[in-house]
Amino acid sequence: MESFNNPTENRPDNNLVWAILCTVMCCMPLGIVAIIKSTKVNELWALGDHEGARKAAADTKKYSIWGAVITFVFVILYFIFIAIIGIGASVFD
Amino acid sequence: MYLTKILKITFILLFLGGLFFVYRYFNPVEHSFFVPCPFNYATGYHCPGCGSQRAIHQLLHFNILDALRMNPLLVLSLPILFVGVGNQVWNYIFETQYRIKLFYNNYFIYGYFIVVILYWALRNVPYYPLNLLAPAN
Repeated sequence: MESFNNPTENRPDNNLVWAILCTVMCCMPLGIVAIIKSTKVNELWALGDHEGARKAAADTKKYSIWGAVITFVFVILYFIFIAIIGIGASVFD
Repeated sequence: MYLTKILKITFILLFLGGLFFVYRYFNPVEHSFFVPCPFNYATGYHCPGCGSQRAIHQLLHFNILDALRMNPLLVLSLPILFVGVGNQVWNYIFETQYRIKLFYNNYFIYGYFIVVILYWALRNVPYYPLNLLAPAN
């Protein structure tokens, strides 16, 4: 397949998919930071800074996960909030 | 190691199954328990993701045109996301290191980024035909 690389090449995964998913479904600001970080993976790898590329890849993953965690907490808080409003409305109706 | 992998995959499948159930059988237009977009809630403007939940509901009923009317950018991005996530899952399960070359092309990344920002601005213009980009009422 032309659009996939040789799997033996050891370039770090730039985790762009997770950064985009985080931007689309979760926390936009952190997702954007993650996308910028994932472009650094390519640049640093091309420059030969393999350590930096691996660190940028790890950062991309970290920011994506934090975006997902923040969104998850936000959704849980939202459900608690509407549950309290619902109970309050039925008690004081 | 195999056990944790199987547990993780099971957990993800259950989570996805739950999401499928909610978005297939509940229309976000008719039920109020869906989480609204915080940006839209705060400002009244549409963000690039607004209409995604309604679009996914329509897609799960194979109404592609209705989905496009809710959030065209999301519908057009989903194939790329499916290939990307599928590749990640494949690499995880079979311990391979396939990379999608498109994702290592910074022109693609910045291009997509610019498209999203333009889309954000244009879908808030309340005149035809730009208002087709906003979620349909």
